[in-house]
Amino acid sequence: MKDVRNASRIGRLQFLSDEQKRDIYLAALEIAGSIGMKVYHEEARRLLADAGAEVDGELVKMPRYLIEQARQSVPAVALIYDREGELAMELGGYNSYFGTGSDLMHTYDLETRERRDSVLEDVARAARLCDALPHMDFIMSSAHPTDVNPHHSYLLSFREMMRNSTKPLVMTAENAKDLRVMVEVATELRGGEEQLRQKPYFVVYNEPISPLEHPVESVEKLFLCADTGVPSIYSPAPLAGATAPITIAGHTAQGVAESLFGLVMHQLRRPGAPFLFGIGAAVLDMVTAQSSYNAPEYYQTYMCMVDMARWLDIPNWGYGGTSDSQLLDAQAGMEIAQLTFMAMMQGSNLNHDVGYLDFGLTGSLEEIVVVDEFVGMNRKLFQGVDVDRETMTVDTVREVGPGGHYMTTEHTYRHLRSAQWRPTVLNRYGYEKWEAEGSKDLREKAGDKARKLLAEHEPSALPENLSRVLDEKVNRFTDRVA
Amino acid sequence: MAFDKLIELVQVGDGQQVAAEVQKQLDAGNSAPTILNDGLIAAMDIVGEKMESEEMFIPEVLRSAKAMEQGLAVMKDELALDDVQASGKVVIGTVKGDLHDIGKNLVSMLLSSAGFEVIDAGINVAPDAFVAKVEETGANFLAMSALLTTTMPMMKQTIAELEQRGLRDRVKVIIGGAPVNQGYADELGADGYASDAGAAIKLAKSLRA
Repeated sequence: MKDVRNASRIGRLQFLSDEQKRDIYLAALEIAGSIGMKVYHEEARRLLADAGAEVDGELVKMPRYLIEQARQSVPAVALIYDREGELAMELGGYNSYFGTGSDLMHTYDLETRERRDSVLEDVARAARLCDALPHMDFIMSSAHPTDVNPHHSYLLSFREMMRNSTKPLVMTAENAKDLRVMVEVATELRGGEEQLRQKPYFVVYNEPISPLEHPVESVEKLFLCADTGVPSIYSPAPLAGATAPITIAGHTAQGVAESLFGLVMHQLRRPGAPFLFGIGAAVLDMVTAQSSYNAPEYYQTYMCMVDMARWLDIPNWGYGGTSDSQLLDAQAGMEIAQLTFMAMMQGSNLNHDVGYLDFGLTGSLEEIVVVDEFVGMNRKLFQGVDVDRETMTVDTVREVGPGGHYMTTEHTYRHLRSAQWRPTVLNRYGYEKWEAEGSKDLREKAGDKARKLLAEHEPSALPENLSRVLDEKVNRFTDRVA
Repeated sequence: MAFDKLIELVQVGDGQQVAAEVQKQLDAGNSAPTILNDGLIAAMDIVGEKMESEEMFIPEVLRSAKAMEQGLAVMKDELALDDVQASGKVVIGTVKGDLHDIGKNLVSMLLSSAGFEVIDAGINVAPDAFVAKVEETGANFLAMSALLTTTMPMMKQTIAELEQRGLRDRVKVIIGGAPVNQGYADELGADGYASDAGAAIKLAKSLRA
């Protein structure tokens, strides 16, 4: 089987000591057990009551042992396979994978460079671009199509993603109805329910609402995932200072409690089903009322969450390649680099939102190209350093001697293609050559690359029978749901 | 094409096999100038294009050049001097007071790979030493490199020396190095400036034509 592990071989970031992780875990247990949370899904409340939770109307208080039990049964690793059935990601441990985000209301048009409302074709374009980029490991919808019936938007996006890429997907869905159609298509793709359970094709993004509420739709999607073995994310988006405490530890503790609360419902429904822990660590800017994805406090809670995930030994949902800036400018470069580097260094597993600008409201294909390059460059970095006779090569130094050069030694030839990483859009030209090539900045070069790939890259076609099944199921849904 | 295999071997940079293939072509009755032009030089033209398009890396280009030379050696008795020297003869060196040579070496190797005959005068080359080399070898190019702002004026002195000895019209003077630019080249009355090794080869080829 293909080895897809890519954990950093150099040092790791750590934000919390073991003692601090334990303290935050105990605080989360206290929140779940003594304060409790609102669960609006009736069947879930029954399931929780039968298991021993204290249920009073919609309020559910979770005893510690149910959380401990769920931690025992949840898998430490989730294997994700691409459309063709090849292993693509080993979620868990310190492996880091990257992909687009979902549901951006606006898109920077690659041709006009204008910001406009997102359309379904933007979903297709982003998928096709990511299919061609070597370091985009999975795809989300990127755009939220505003040119279709909102109740159809997720399923229609799913169809575009499946058609335009063989890479595994992370899906958002309105509720269990459209999600069920996606699961049915994936079941056809794999050739049966059991086969899909063995080789999941997509992961589903689900979220509770902070503080401490679990909507019906979130839980029914969570249950559908548990029933079918489709891995489920259950990641709240507590907004520090607004829907969660403003301090990092309080922000983290509430988020941990909300995600683990979902884990219990999920594991009670089907023990051993694959699950991803997470916290969308958004921070409310108290002056502009914007929700920053790149405030240092965001990074802190994010990194604390990953520390907690590794300590709990549960795969995590994470973030990378996003900026608050409205443009792909120096701020964007700085934020993309910092966030993505931290995610890789700490071993955050399934990192989305590549290509986000403007607080998760506007998408940029140029930014996706830039992040792909950044991830590629850093995958080289995190491979670590091989130190042995061949790489230290004292004999070559002897052969060359003082005043010689290494341009034509056998050792240089032997390592020429593997020793150095090559950029595709970062500039390595001298001034004159750069000027002769049009004095382009990074955004222009990334745009050129995106346009070229979109014009030339032909994703592997969906088999005829599957394409028919996909159309039939999607059309039946769109005919039925007004 | 009869020389497909030879062209491929030069690109791969396998000198021994290039030499063997050249011998085979001679035995088959092909003339040495034909093998040179349609085989070895044609191959190096492709190598040059691949370097330009970033498909080949500099050490690979140098290996191809070395392989070509091994092929050339097989034919040295058959080839008239004119066949080989048609493309130009370059005296190259780092100016007096300057010991930096990797840039100069790179240009020197790439010029060879592009078919120039290169006479490397080395580093710390005084103006009269440059001129003596030009005179002695009958070169039609003089290429000077400097990495330091303090040594740049030596380029001007060397050109003055060439003029004094009546050799200025015989050679094209080209200059390069980090502190040098087109403006400086114009000021000196040099024939050309190149900002990097790849540009130096293009410049020399354009001046040769």
